[in-house]
Amino acid sequence: MNALSFKRVGKIYRRSHLGRVTETVGLSALDLDVRQGEVFGLLGLNGSGKTTAIKLLMGLHLPTTGDVEVLGRRVPDIEVLARIGYAPEAAYLNRSLTGRETLRLFAALSRIPSARREARVEDMLARVGLGHAMDKRLSEYSKGMLQRASLAQALIHDPELVIMDEPITGLDPLAIKEVRTLILWLKQKGKTVLFASHDISEVERVCDRIGILSGGKLARVMAQDEWRGKPDTIENAFASSVLRTDGVGEIRLD
Amino acid sequence: METIKAVFDYTLREHVRHKVWLSSALFGLVLVTGGLVTSALAQGERARMMLDLGLAANEAIGLVSVVFLTVHLILQEIETRAVFLILTHPVRRSDYLLGRFLGTLAAVGLGMAAMGLFHWGLLKIAGWSDEGSYALAWFCSFGKVAVMGALSLLLSLALTSEAAAMSFASFLWILGHFTSEMRFLAERSASVFARAALTTVSHVVPDFAHFNYRDAWHAGPPGARWIAAAAIYALAYCAACLALSVQFFEQKEF
Repeated sequence: MNALSFKRVGKIYRRSHLGRVTETVGLSALDLDVRQGEVFGLLGLNGSGKTTAIKLLMGLHLPTTGDVEVLGRRVPDIEVLARIGYAPEAAYLNRSLTGRETLRLFAALSRIPSARREARVEDMLARVGLGHAMDKRLSEYSKGMLQRASLAQALIHDPELVIMDEPITGLDPLAIKEVRTLILWLKQKGKTVLFASHDISEVERVCDRIGILSGGKLARVMAQDEWRGKPDTIENAFASSVLRTDGVGEIRLD
Repeated sequence: METIKAVFDYTLREHVRHKVWLSSALFGLVLVTGGLVTSALAQGERARMMLDLGLAANEAIGLVSVVFLTVHLILQEIETRAVFLILTHPVRRSDYLLGRFLGTLAAVGLGMAAMGLFHWGLLKIAGWSDEGSYALAWFCSFGKVAVMGALSLLLSLALTSEAAAMSFASFLWILGHFTSEMRFLAERSASVFARAALTTVSHVVPDFAHFNYRDAWHAGPPGARWIAAAAIYALAYCAACLALSVQFFEQKEF
């Protein structure tokens, strides 16, 4: 069974300024299925459509064409959000709250019963290594601590599907290793993980399958047996599949 | 309800931590300065001057605070992307908006209540007799502030510019004190277009005549009916502004 699927999904961003309308293609006829219980890696350059695809799943954007289904329900759907955990590329958290208050807020929003909420908050903060800092304001947290708080809010309601948008960007090697361990632990617990990244080596280590996005289209899907024990397979597939769409040229060394 | 309460709690906490209560210090300064300026007057005159000065300062500080806070309320959360994480949980956009608005109104209301208590105490010391009029005056000021808060929130979402929303809110605040004059002009106008335009504008802008306790007091202490009419007007105007704000907010993609 599929945990999520994109059926011929297109997304066009329209911006109008002084009567002039400009259109940018975010996604173009995307067909993609992610099975329940697998770790799926979404690879692509900047502007390839990874974040657009994730925002469509979370109901933050609406598709221009096609349908998006998550856990058997067509999105946008508020009810399905109670079964998804989302960790964005940066910790978009309100810095005036403490770690405990932040998780209390997200626990309440995720409909965790009030009798169980406090214990869940403390347990989750301890699990991500913030037990000692739970009563400090987020404005006093380091980048790594904020990223952990962001992961904690994504997991506080024990979601079936976890979506991570470039979760290792800017983290130190130790923190990257911990995120990798976390993804594998989630897989062991039977969760589905969708993991968008630029980092080929990381995707190679944790994913069951990968999808390469280029210019808003799915260029290729690969399963683990295609790259296991064959170094550089993903990198070569990636280089041959993607087209630069971010408007920058190659670095010249002459 | 749980969601609205959770958003309300964190909004109130956020405003308190951003030191909204410091506006009360400004109020104290106004009263001390006013006290010094009016110290040469006879006791009765002095109390009356202090009464007018304090009520006007309380309302003006409440108004500036509510416009400033509500104009930034959602736009800032969009800019810092904190709204992403809230809306990727099972939260209706209308609940989020209502919780944010009520939390802000509560923060401003608490500040106004603190200023009001301080002012009332000073008036008692100056020998002023209350007869219940102070609570009514405060209630009317708060009604105006609530209406302006809802209107500023709507303007911020419709115009998506903080500076433009603040300018429009200030302009509508002024217009709202001249609704009866607009209707008078409409009756006298020979042009059908001018009559229609003036009548429409006089009904669309907030009609602060509903909160004019001073005129009502001159005709004898206002009864429960007058108070209920003011409260219903404030509630209805806020509800209309919030309903329109929800419409704008529902269409936003983040």
